[in-house]
Amino acid sequence: MLQYGQKSFLIVDDFTDFRTSTRSMLRELGVRDVDTADSGEQALRMCGQKRYDFILQDFHLGDGKKNGQQVLEDLILDKLISHECVFIMVTAESSQAIVLSAIEHEPDAYLTKPFNRVGLAQRLEKLTQRKTLLKPILQALDRSRPAEVLAACAELCKKDPRFAPLCLRYRADALRDLNRFDELEKFLKNILASRPQPWAYAALGSLLHKRGQNAQAQGVYEQALKAFPIMPNLYDGMADVLVAQGETKRAQHMLEEAVRLSPLAVRRQAALGKLALDNADFESASKAYRHAVNQGQSSRYKDAESNLGLVQALMSKNTGNGLDARTRVEINTVLSEVAKENVEDQGLQVRARLMKAASLQQAGDPDTAAKLTEQAMLRLEKMDQFFSVEAALTVAKQLQQLGQDAAGTSILKGCVETYGDDPKVMQSVAKLTDDPLVLGAVTEAVDLNRQGVRSYQGGQLNEALGMFRKALSLQPKNISIALNTAQALLRIGGETPPPALMQECRDCLTSVAGIPASDSRYDRYRKLHIRVFGA
Amino acid sequence: MNQDNQGLDFSTVIASTVHDLKNSLSALTHAHSQWLARLPEELRGGTEQGVVEHELSHLNGMLVQLLGLYKLGVNQLPICPDYHELDDFIEAQLAAQEDVIKHRDILATWRIETESPLGFFDRELVASVVANVLTNAIRYAGHALLISIEEEGEQLVISVNDDGAGYPQRMLERQHDYVQGIDSQSGSTGLGLYFAARIAALHERNGVRGRIEIANGGTLGGGLFRLYLP
Repeated sequence: MLQYGQKSFLIVDDFTDFRTSTRSMLRELGVRDVDTADSGEQALRMCGQKRYDFILQDFHLGDGKKNGQQVLEDLILDKLISHECVFIMVTAESSQAIVLSAIEHEPDAYLTKPFNRVGLAQRLEKLTQRKTLLKPILQALDRSRPAEVLAACAELCKKDPRFAPLCLRYRADALRDLNRFDELEKFLKNILASRPQPWAYAALGSLLHKRGQNAQAQGVYEQALKAFPIMPNLYDGMADVLVAQGETKRAQHMLEEAVRLSPLAVRRQAALGKLALDNADFESASKAYRHAVNQGQSSRYKDAESNLGLVQALMSKNTGNGLDARTRVEINTVLSEVAKENVEDQGLQVRARLMKAASLQQAGDPDTAAKLTEQAMLRLEKMDQFFSVEAALTVAKQLQQLGQDAAGTSILKGCVETYGDDPKVMQSVAKLTDDPLVLGAVTEAVDLNRQGVRSYQGGQLNEALGMFRKALSLQPKNISIALNTAQALLRIGGETPPPALMQECRDCLTSVAGIPASDSRYDRYRKLHIRVFGA
Repeated sequence: MNQDNQGLDFSTVIASTVHDLKNSLSALTHAHSQWLARLPEELRGGTEQGVVEHELSHLNGMLVQLLGLYKLGVNQLPICPDYHELDDFIEAQLAAQEDVIKHRDILATWRIETESPLGFFDRELVASVVANVLTNAIRYAGHALLISIEEEGEQLVISVNDDGAGYPQRMLERQHDYVQGIDSQSGSTGLGLYFAARIAALHERNGVRGRIEIANGGTLGGGLFRLYLP
């Protein structure tokens, strides 16, 4: 038997009885260091202060509380546990339903209640052995070094090729993190040809989707769903691919299927709400957003966008009919939650107020609506953060409806300044205004930017920089142009760019510092920011 | 108005009841072991003790199976195959029944004769099959049972063998009927085999589906259950 004397254990369960009996089982196994927690929240706090070697986590910790899977996600994403930690999910029934929702972050093992001391000892011992076998891989994971993960996998496969299958997923993840996409594609296809697993399908589908090969990705997901028709995350992937191809109705249907299989998924419900809203299916949209809001209470994926989406859906559902008392109460509750919990976020403060104003107007209270609109506009003037495209469009539309055409137009103008290089954005803006001052503002800058990109790709760096600079002088808040300019500057500057050049870079990035974290270019912005500002 | 409020069908009622039953059984098992731990050493053994433990685990196995059948019925029994270490898998199954095995004074052994230490299957599902078969084997065994895993062609074969009287001849002859779930007089055994066969068949590779077989004989001469996984 293994020596547990030096190892630390954490038992997380809401039943005192269970904690006590598990603790005494562990004591009998020679464990000295046992802590207990009665909720996921408490467990997270404890893991923040102490590194545990073993965690026995009950899955169901009561309604409205974080469940075991959410605790595990938080522990991993916040790096509160090492990959070397043995995490066992304890379940009251067969773990199938849980397995379904756990494809991204799996526990090391499931243990079904009731279990006895021998059963527990057996699992602990075996899991410890496996962790020891995989130790170099796990340590590389802790250091976030995918190249080292690959090397460690290769080492293990050489030492004992029989255990090679245990490395498959680590290798796939590492190849993905290293952007070695061609290799990854071949690797995943080999796995699927031999022993298909849901995760391999999902990885291949998302790889193809990321590269824009949507038709092929769709083929992969179709095949995957035939083999594993009840894996919700495969439907998620399929929905992404369908959206990319403009098939939003079918995409919604996919997410509805996924939600039916696994309703406890905040992000999925929010995604469904958004799709349904876009598809003008307001009944489904409000339902999904409501779930997202409720489930979000105990989740790290809680998102004010779901609250705003819910209100939007409720209002749209009742267009032309006012709002009944129950709906008004619901709107009030979810919006005040946004305002209360996002005090620092100017954009959300403005949007929550405008949304409230719009709902009051619909409910037949134009006076209060006007007052709130005024408040929102005061905040709007002081705001230095950019709205995301969708937020900007919604805000502009609401301002128009609330009789504030000028303010609406100015929002659209800002949106064009920031995102005007994207033709899709321009199409959406054109739906809300035909003001040539708004619509024509970007043409020249966008052309210059396009030429700049061409020169950059052709290796004409100085020529490219000239174009970008000119474009940026016309549209100083355009995210793409600013990032392109900064990137060209850095490329020209080489290893140690001259100070003047660095200063120009800093100015570029500062001019688009309002970029929302949800923007697809945010990562690129952050990377440049780290290079230029050092953080 | 409310779309969620459709009438419940009987199988859903049964399933949620079984779910509750399982929880209450779990509490019972737990309380029992707590209580046992407080008894003086000399009172802990005893035949009644063995009966209680065996029946608790038997009940649990049946409830798991019932839930599984329900999920099969509503097409919700997902298969999520992965690579598992075979020795770990068997040890875990035996450990779960450790108390009963000890009280019945049965010598349980296992052996693995495969090239790879890993097998590719849905751990949860195959475990529920093996648990049921083990419970039966423990009930009918004399003093010994043997779990073995070997390879036959490309297939993994998990066998459970005991030294009891073996399956009745009638069952062996009509095993395909049991496997297909044809109603029979013998109650739970037939259902267990049906469940096992369905789970075996969920495992598929290149058009080959898993299957089960029952026979008498083997190393120990009694009942011999075999699960083939492609």
